[in-house]
Amino acid sequence: MSVMTYNGGGVVAMKGKDCVAIACDLRFGVNRSMTLATDFEKVFQFGPHLFCGLPGLATDTLTVRDKLKFRLNMYELKEDRKMSPKVFTSMLSNLLYERRFGPFFVEPVIAGLHPKTFEPYVCSMDLIGCPEQPEDFVVSGTCSPQLYGMCEALYEPNLEPDDLYETISQALVNAFDRDALSGWGASVYIIQKDKITHKTVKTRMD
Amino acid sequence: MGSERYSFSLTTFSPSGKLVQIEYALAAVSAGAPSIGIKAQNGVVLATENKFKSILYEEHSIKKIEMIEEHIGMVYSGMGPDYRLLVKRARKLAQQYKLVYGQRIPTPQLVQKVAMVMQEYTQSGGVRPFGVSLLICGWDEGVPTLFQCDPSGAYFAWKATAMGKNFINGKTFLEKRYIETQDIEDAVHTAILTLKEGFEGQMTSDNIEVGICDENGFRVLDPNSVKDYLANIP
Amino acid sequence: MALESLMGFKESFVRPRLMDEEDVDESYDIPNFTDNMMLALPPLANPRSALANFQHDQYGKDIKIKVDHGTTTLGFRFRNGVILAVDSRATGGEYIGSQTMKKIIEINKFLLGTMAGGAADCVYWDRVLAKQCRLHELRNKERITTAAASKIMSNMAYSYKDTGLSMGMMIAGFDVRGPELYYVDSEGSRTKGDIFSVGSGSVFAYGVMDAGYSYDLSDEDAYELARRSIYSATFRDAFSGGLIRVYHMKETGWECISVQDCKDLHYAYYPNGK
Repeated sequence: MSVMTYNGGGVVAMKGKDCVAIACDLRFGVNRSMTLATDFEKVFQFGPHLFCGLPGLATDTLTVRDKLKFRLNMYELKEDRKMSPKVFTSMLSNLLYERRFGPFFVEPVIAGLHPKTFEPYVCSMDLIGCPEQPEDFVVSGTCSPQLYGMCEALYEPNLEPDDLYETISQALVNAFDRDALSGWGASVYIIQKDKITHKTVKTRMD
Repeated sequence: MGSERYSFSLTTFSPSGKLVQIEYALAAVSAGAPSIGIKAQNGVVLATENKFKSILYEEHSIKKIEMIEEHIGMVYSGMGPDYRLLVKRARKLAQQYKLVYGQRIPTPQLVQKVAMVMQEYTQSGGVRPFGVSLLICGWDEGVPTLFQCDPSGAYFAWKATAMGKNFINGKTFLEKRYIETQDIEDAVHTAILTLKEGFEGQMTSDNIEVGICDENGFRVLDPNSVKDYLANIP
Repeated sequence: MALESLMGFKESFVRPRLMDEEDVDESYDIPNFTDNMMLALPPLANPRSALANFQHDQYGKDIKIKVDHGTTTLGFRFRNGVILAVDSRATGGEYIGSQTMKKIIEINKFLLGTMAGGAADCVYWDRVLAKQCRLHELRNKERITTAAASKIMSNMAYSYKDTGLSMGMMIAGFDVRGPELYYVDSEGSRTKGDIFSVGSGSVFAYGVMDAGYSYDLSDEDAYELARRSIYSATFRDAFSGGLIRVYHMKETGWECISVQDCKDLHYAYYPNGK
């Protein structure tokens, strides 16, 4: 049994017009099959316009989240400025590759706007930190094959925030409805220059 | 002498609260060749004297102004070998930063890290402080920066400054000459003029070095360019 | 003609095949066409013991055919008959293949079977069982008892023991002896009982069912208990979900009571969130 499917869960992020969206499911399972909680957020806020999703082994989700927060705080204290999503990606990639031969079992997704230019940015990574920065969307987690399918079908460039919300929610919900290990509610963030919107989506609970 | 009783160990304070080894290190700096740094609106200039003790030396075989990163340059007054160790450390620190964050190190960050290294050598066993003061110049997203870093690990940001032999005269000269709105060409001119104060013998493009940092990054001027500047000096 | 056979062509291009030739061929090629119990076994001297050698790869890891393993099914006997309830999710690994599987098989008007484990195994052997039950009825001019039907099933399963069949089923019926419920599985066991739950979500279903069960439950209460038990299992168990089907086996034959979506049930039970 793979460690990556022990807890289950999925994350997706999309670029829009002057905005980005990132969303995750809320299931926390153990031993693959048993659902223990339905309020387990896998997306975390690391700055005013910086978010990171960490699907995978839940214990590593929390550990990597804390380690990232530590390094981010050190950077921001030392340099007296906000970290850009690109630098954050670089730092996380470095953090993960440090454990090349005993990795953290998370496959991160990063979404954010540049702190000065507000340029949209999404990125995904494997568990040892190989970054990928496409122009449209990124997916990760146990339902990533389904997410790829949904995103390829629904995504279009330069969506306005409201349309982006609709697209990412439909993509995520319909993807994890075909995955036994994800679902049980969804959490969606829309990141705009002067507004962060967080919504919880009602979904199937089976 | 009281101070001698406390000078055997670098890490022991004298009763008056001084670490005399550090003061000796500063003395080594003051005895070293002069270096000048001046900020302009569109860049920073570093200049230093590079005199040979013998005419038999191969000219330009020893460089005093060094590039640390594409956008950062460094020069020193004091002991050459100590300086080269710091250059090596500074370059390594800059590259480590690039590896982790995927971007160039901001000059203040580098200065802080280098100062940390210099401070370490004032509080560790079996070592002595560095016999150099550094001038570090940089260009960060349109902003010119100039720092001085002392053997104690203390560092200061300057608009213009002088170090090494005759640094008091040099500073007085700069205080009179410094104009905040000058451009890089004028700053190079002022730097050379400052060096000329108290320069012993004839100043040529072979016995001074000039480095410039601007939006194109850092570069050391070749002797021909220096010669052009010298031609305008009265 | 001679050239054709020499070249190995079975069919002639010139002359169409005759009907009787076709029949001979087919009964020869498909053994279980004439005898349902005749499944092709691995071509080995002793398939049962030799099969064990093929269950592992070169690293000693189990070779698994991904079949529908996740399920929740339950059944209980009460004063007005037998209740059966099941979910409808079919999974292959973690992939959800279907949300609308029928896991209750209607063998005849007075016999129902539930399926858990390998879907193909359950469906096939239930079909064979249905045939046997019908033959029994025709031969003896009376309906087969639940006991007899379940025994046929367990005997068939036992004859293929250790060959990798995967079934966990309940057989519910109403006959001269009244309402009865049997548990039969591919290991060959057959147990009569009042309360059963089978599948990956059974532990969760048992939790709710045991807490609310009484022999004297009213029809409505019995339906709701079964429904609620399966709902709980679909919530907790990743491999159960989709629709919840509730069946009631009565003296007059079975009746499908309800088919409801888990999602609607969840938000009916917890309108303000769990």
